[in-house]
Amino acid sequence: MDKSLNSGLSRRSFLKASALSSGGLLLSVALPGCAAIGMKNQGMVSAGEWQSNAWLRIDTDNRITFILDRVEMGQGTYTGLVTLLAEELEVDPALVQVEFAGVGSAYDNPLYKLQITGGSTSVASSFKRIRLAGASAREMLKQAAAQVWALENTSTLHCDNGQVIHSSGKTLSYGELASIAATFSVPEDTALKSPDEYRYIGKYNKRLDALQKVTGQAVYGIDVELPGMLYAVISRAPAFGGTVKTLDSSAAKAASGVVDVFPLEAAGRSGVAVVGRSYWQARKAQQLLQIEWQTPEVAPSSDAIFAQYTRDLDNEDGEQVRDDGDFDAAAEQAASTLTAEYQLPYLAHATLEPQNCVVKADADGMEVWAPTQSASMARVAAGKHSRYSLDDIVIHTTWIGGGFGRRILQDYVAECAVIADRLQKPVKLIWSREEDTAHDWYRPASLHRLQATINADGKASGWQHRIAHPKVFEWFVGDAAPAQYPFMPKFMFPMLASAGKLGEGILAPKDSSGYEGANDVPYALDNIDVRFIHSEPGVPVGYWRSVGFSHNGFVTESFIDELAHQQKQDPLNFRLELLAQHPRAQSLLRRVAQLADWGRPLPGCHQGVAIHKSFNTWVAQIADVQVEGKNFSVKRVVCAVDCGQAVNPDMIRAQMEGGINFALTAALYGNITLKDGAVQQSNFHDYNMLRMPEAPQIVVDIADNQYDPTGVGEPGVPPLAPAVANALFAATGQRLRRLPLQLA
Amino acid sequence: MIRLTVNDVEHTLDVEGDTPLLWVVRDVLGLKGSKFGCGAGLCGACTMHLNGQPIRTCIMPLSAVAGQNITTIEGLSPANASVQQLTPVQQAWLELNVPQCGYCQSGQIMAATALLASNPNPSDADIDNAMSGNICRCGTYPRIRSAIHKAAGMMSAGSHPQAARNGELFSEVTLPQATNSEELSHG
Ligand code: FES
Ligand code: FES
Repeated sequence: MDKSLNSGLSRRSFLKASALSSGGLLLSVALPGCAAIGMKNQGMVSAGEWQSNAWLRIDTDNRITFILDRVEMGQGTYTGLVTLLAEELEVDPALVQVEFAGVGSAYDNPLYKLQITGGSTSVASSFKRIRLAGASAREMLKQAAAQVWALENTSTLHCDNGQVIHSSGKTLSYGELASIAATFSVPEDTALKSPDEYRYIGKYNKRLDALQKVTGQAVYGIDVELPGMLYAVISRAPAFGGTVKTLDSSAAKAASGVVDVFPLEAAGRSGVAVVGRSYWQARKAQQLLQIEWQTPEVAPSSDAIFAQYTRDLDNEDGEQVRDDGDFDAAAEQAASTLTAEYQLPYLAHATLEPQNCVVKADADGMEVWAPTQSASMARVAAGKHSRYSLDDIVIHTTWIGGGFGRRILQDYVAECAVIADRLQKPVKLIWSREEDTAHDWYRPASLHRLQATINADGKASGWQHRIAHPKVFEWFVGDAAPAQYPFMPKFMFPMLASAGKLGEGILAPKDSSGYEGANDVPYALDNIDVRFIHSEPGVPVGYWRSVGFSHNGFVTESFIDELAHQQKQDPLNFRLELLAQHPRAQSLLRRVAQLADWGRPLPGCHQGVAIHKSFNTWVAQIADVQVEGKNFSVKRVVCAVDCGQAVNPDMIRAQMEGGINFALTAALYGNITLKDGAVQQSNFHDYNMLRMPEAPQIVVDIADNQYDPTGVGEPGVPPLAPAVANALFAATGQRLRRLPLQLA
Repeated sequence: MIRLTVNDVEHTLDVEGDTPLLWVVRDVLGLKGSKFGCGAGLCGACTMHLNGQPIRTCIMPLSAVAGQNITTIEGLSPANASVQQLTPVQQAWLELNVPQCGYCQSGQIMAATALLASNPNPSDADIDNAMSGNICRCGTYPRIRSAIHKAAGMMSAGSHPQAARNGELFSEVTLPQATNSEELSHG
């Protein structure tokens, strides 16, 4: 048993035992939140109180249920957290039922603040607490058995397979003991298992949600159905901030099956809703709408946005977010410099399940079913856009057909709340793919200027990186800030939103989405200057898988490659030398080089390497790329990941594979462009996705160590584009500084 | 009135004939396993079988399939099937942990099932061809490829699919323990 793991974590600060009214044990747990994506999840609670957000219940009929506030988007959260719990509880993870806690549900704590699944942090942030919860329950069950068998202590008892077992061989099941265990308080001195005692952590490779997903039984948001439900679709102003100027809805209203047609405002967008008895009737009637849109005053096109970024980089000093040594002095003394400009586009999330929501509103209150990454923000959105107070709104979460950050925003909930509130009937809103592509909260476009200085000895001496980029936080805080204070009356919401904005860095962590992955450039150069130039083009932006690392990973790992070539050094060795401070990164690079046979590419291929740390996880990748004329294909990606203790190795492998293919989609195709304030792409023919024939062979290696686990959902993304671009440079001598990658 | 057989059950439907089959199956018949992804025949999430052939049902008007036989993901194996009752394709998917979000997987499984019915031992190129109409945004392609190879192996292990389900497959988790998932992509 590993006692040291307990230090600093008093059980009473996050675990509470109680009895179920039906008999049985309920253990309430407070898991740390997912602060990585913007708002602090903690720290606003006064000392001495805490809010549970996960619950372990053991019923007298031996059912073991784990109720969670996290959602499953495909990233394996469900399996990972259950594995941790089951390890200490001594049960097969497959026997633990998982339920997702909505907001306003029986498990909701009125004081609990903000539920968000994101930032790759679910397993990482919960590693110790869930295990301690499992271990505490196990010890309480043993105590209960000791009481039943009139033993002095529990030293002759052990647990296995849902039973407490006495050295004599007699057994009692957890269900038989649960009611007695509930009379004890949570023990303070339970030890956790040591890694050599693990049965499931690092070994459990079944995916607990797979069966319902291969039989079509998993219920996603779009699958929710209520009696008497109507279907809604919305035509939204094509340009951001556009409004309805004139509307002729007579033809649409006369169409078969149409129930209502009306203009609506929700989540900052104007549009016209068409509600019908079936989805297809609503969709057909939508084609009959005659709408003239009022274009907003600011309706930027892509060229103008990059021109604005250029102007701001020319004129602004920005905020210095890294200052090592004296870059200006290094620049003055430099024998030569290397400069480059990198440009990245807006990107849509393109979750395969388009945005959708079901809302039922009546005299009793409002119920919402939504594939959301944040039930608490969904409740704020529904409350802001309806007559209901938050106390009267219940949120049910569902399986999610891809999140990637899109479903942290709650616009689909807001829209459906408006419609259902008006009709007082159950309504399902479904976005078309075209609407989903054109009305996303995009990964921000950005422009980067880099400069490296080379001293008289020919050595790299300095690194400057200046980034023009908006603040994602400002587009997000409107719903996030009130979600932290659900007890505030609704008229306070705008105030909370602006307070939230002002509170950046004070009440909430600083918005690092523009510069994360740039200010922490790991290479040992004496003089480093990284600056964030806040430039706001007025296009809605949001969190996109790996957030700021998605662009800064590409820029820093491409530019370090440029520097290696300028220094006439092997790109891999150059990185290794400059990573002396980061032994875990070094060994990862060596490992990936060995597995990919660095220097000996696949036949007809060239290789490129990149390494990037995001969400505290290092990932190194080597891409083997084949070039034919202006075309190229990625044949193989070898990926080494160090995410600390691997809880479910196969889940980690899957997340690396998925992250690589997600990033390759962006590197090959991803490009949202704007004209007069409107997005020009619509469906998968002009916003392309990677398909089977382009999908590379992927080899994943997981570092074997026992550090606390770190995120895996996102860190597979950032190194891919630079690894491919660096391979293209090796193949052609062309340095591609724009995404998507296009050979000249 | 339009007649249609879905998963061996005959229906007589009072639905406008231009309604895409997808919405009829999902919202009138209540079979939600087939998904809506693009509505334009571009992603394959809505794939069902028409007389055994994979079709994009989001752009297939009901009137065009009147009187025909349709199979959906729900028709592959019995409701609440045990692992042993699943088809080899579903079993292979399960065994290799193919699904992530899972949203595309009904369509992927329908496409793969049709491929294996016509080509019991597909090459990688055959797989590229047959599966290129099905998008997986979560990027599960390497596992889909290996699962198809695996299902092909299971089916050839016995003339009847059940013969391949000798129980051994699930006696333990047989996921690649090797860190190199190369074997995954070549089955
Ligand atoms: S939904 Fe039918 S092909 Fe995409
Ligand atoms: S598993 Fe998510 S789209 Fe394929």
